[in-house]
Amino acid sequence: MTRLSIRGVGVVGGFGCGLEAFDRALVSGVASTMQVTPVPGNESVLRSAFLADTAPLEEFLNKRALRRIDHFSRLALLGSHLALQDAGMLGAIPERVGLVIASGYGALRTTFSFLDSIIEDGDSCASPTHFSNSVHNAAAAHVAIKLNIGGPNLTVSQFEMSVSSALLTAQLWLEEGRVDHVVFGGVDEYSAVLGYCWERFLGSESTEEMAPFDLARQTALVGEGSAFFVLSREETASPYGAIDRVSLGHLSGGLPILPKDPVYILGADGHRQCSAKYPELVPQGASVASYAPLYGSLPVGQAFDLAAAALAMRDGRLCATPGHVAEETDWQIVGTEELGQRDICCLKMDDNGGYGFLTVTKGRG
Amino acid sequence: MAIKEKLKKILVEELNLEDMTAEEIEDSTPLFGEGLGLDSLDAVELVVLIQKHFGIEIQDMEEGREAFESVETLAGFIDERLKG
Amino acid sequence: MSGPSPVAVTGVGCLCAAGANLAACMESLFKERRHPAPPSRFETEHAIRYPVFEVSEGFFPPELPEDGQLLRTSRLALAATLEALHDADWNPEDLKGLRVGVCIGTTVGSAMNSEEFYRDYRSGKRPEMTPIERFLRSNPAASVARYFGLSGPVQTVVNACSSGTDALGLAASWVRNGLCDVALAGGADELTRVTYNGFASLMIADAEPVRPFDLSRRGLNLGEGAGMLVLESEKIQQVRKAKIRSHLLGYGSACDAYHLTAPSPDGSGLIRALDEAMQSSGCRSEDIAFVNAHGTGTPDNDRVESTVLGKVLPRTPFLSTKGFTGHTLGAAGALEAAFTIACLEAGRIPASAGFSKPDPVFPIHPVTREVAIEGRAALSQSLAFGGNNAVVIFGKEGPQ
Repeated sequence: MTRLSIRGVGVVGGFGCGLEAFDRALVSGVASTMQVTPVPGNESVLRSAFLADTAPLEEFLNKRALRRIDHFSRLALLGSHLALQDAGMLGAIPERVGLVIASGYGALRTTFSFLDSIIEDGDSCASPTHFSNSVHNAAAAHVAIKLNIGGPNLTVSQFEMSVSSALLTAQLWLEEGRVDHVVFGGVDEYSAVLGYCWERFLGSESTEEMAPFDLARQTALVGEGSAFFVLSREETASPYGAIDRVSLGHLSGGLPILPKDPVYILGADGHRQCSAKYPELVPQGASVASYAPLYGSLPVGQAFDLAAAALAMRDGRLCATPGHVAEETDWQIVGTEELGQRDICCLKMDDNGGYGFLTVTKGRG
Repeated sequence: MAIKEKLKKILVEELNLEDMTAEEIEDSTPLFGEGLGLDSLDAVELVVLIQKHFGIEIQDMEEGREAFESVETLAGFIDERLKG
Repeated sequence: MSGPSPVAVTGVGCLCAAGANLAACMESLFKERRHPAPPSRFETEHAIRYPVFEVSEGFFPPELPEDGQLLRTSRLALAATLEALHDADWNPEDLKGLRVGVCIGTTVGSAMNSEEFYRDYRSGKRPEMTPIERFLRSNPAASVARYFGLSGPVQTVVNACSSGTDALGLAASWVRNGLCDVALAGGADELTRVTYNGFASLMIADAEPVRPFDLSRRGLNLGEGAGMLVLESEKIQQVRKAKIRSHLLGYGSACDAYHLTAPSPDGSGLIRALDEAMQSSGCRSEDIAFVNAHGTGTPDNDRVESTVLGKVLPRTPFLSTKGFTGHTLGAAGALEAAFTIACLEAGRIPASAGFSKPDPVFPIHPVTREVAIEGRAALSQSLAFGGNNAVVIFGKEGPQ
């Protein structure tokens, strides 16, 4: 299968905006969260959340161009512009480019803003603008319009498996020669209702610090943001490396063949039910990292794992897993260390036995 | 507030014309295309806003087409319907 | 791009207002029966009661009782899948040892959109999580994979109204490239108050039964349903020797990159999608027996489609089947793929329901009566919110 050369990376999340901010977070291991009040009418319940600021988007698009664009689509616009800028393609986007966006929940805030318009003003005053922006592919539409990407355009919504599943399609588009480049990204947003859902599902086990390798503990904190990539057929080596293999399936079909002795960046993000699944797949003694404590738990967290892998390839070194690290584990938890010749496998599992992974290797050519 | 002023305020605030103020909109400025630069999605949003703020229902875009030329024509349309 | 590489379709299943299964739907289409009516499952405050095309509860098979555990969208997808597997002569148990993928398009099935939950939340109650749990359990592709215990790739495509067509094209690519032995692919969507209010707010819902391509057209009627196909790799076909109903010959997609809700007036994205589908299928225009147009009945959509088809396939008969089904959003492309395959087999297409008066600005018009068709292949196209366009071509394998 065609290797996907990573030509550019653009990220925005709780750590800030852009690769430098992301790199600083990875190196320092310091998480920056904000406080949200997930219980309506009760300001005293405070939870930490990783929230993203899209103000830097004004560097790329003026206020007028953004007037009808919601937070969700802004996250996607910012990520995609940053990735294309990083790839040196902004303003000179080649032809034959496809766009693939993964999102676990879509535009949650606008989904509920549309319901607000119905509940507040009645069915006949439902807002057509909110309705249009609440459709899951609204972000992909806005990105295609602002960047003039007229190729194939796909949005995938598969909860935790969204990124692996969408990436599979991006790879096939390049494999079949449908496009020469794919702008690929994952995006999810926080909303007050999501906060409420978290509180109801997990509130009693709330935590202040994520500890992804305390597999039996619930330590997830909600996050939002977007991570975008420019992926191309590999003609020359990119410092970020290339995605070699994308695989997704279900444990009921047997264990998949994993890459040989890679470093795993696990999508373990403090959700106990999902975390419990990783030992079924990741061999004892494997080197593992999780960087979710820097961007929080969100369905498309794997896109951030991929960005961390690309940076590790570029710099030839791994950053230590941030936050509290469990003492007893069957794995080697990665510290600050040389990457060496190892590949990186970004693995995500859901609570039902589904898995999705991709392998990042050094660039060739 | 006069209908025209109210309309201008609605245009700026509810269609998020963040780069202009209500005072900057001329009565005769075309709402669509050149002029304010509104489009078909704004047009249907405007239908909802007129219902919400003035209680006037527009069932069909054909009915609204002439009224939607400018603040002036729209205010005239609203005025007539409120009297009618 | 490599040469044509058809993927076998061995099973077809669908349900919508026109019928509980493909045979029943085709009978309705050819007998020109349609029954749009105001929604029966919910109330709204609109002065106009926009007609819709609902699936009656009796259309669901007995093994899929309403249980509150799954969204209706997933039940629709499961019902169509059961029929498609039966049609393909698959015992679902036998799929467990294979690598079977599921690729399904939807809009409602992916939206966390429980109005009752949200009303309670807003009013300061602490609503129970049942609707959210149901949503989390009801991702259409994941719920089909879970129901049948499948272990291959899973993808829910959320490309708005072209989702069903895209899901078919993408799943064919999985099979062609060896990602799975069998793919269950299609689309599913239920009718909800949210989409009903949404399309009414956009002022593209017709108060009368929908009139695709007609001069007097005023918009769409919403519908609901699901369509699913079974796609199989050559390897599996050789082992199983199943009957092959059709082949997915080609797929193309492109984005207008023009406007969030309006199609590009020149149909540039649709033209690119048609070009890619024709090229990848290896078909010439004379191979295309007919076109199943998107034909929603909205003024803009129908104008763009007639304009583009007038340029690309000016002599090919076309129809919209939405006069029989309503616009089923993410299911539309998959339902229409099922109809396209059935019409190719029957050698005829029904009248384009709701069309009588030609629009003088249109270069070409849909068929007004049942027509016998010639050609080895047929094409189905979908246009969507966000400027997405998707085209699939089905038919017999051609000279390689």
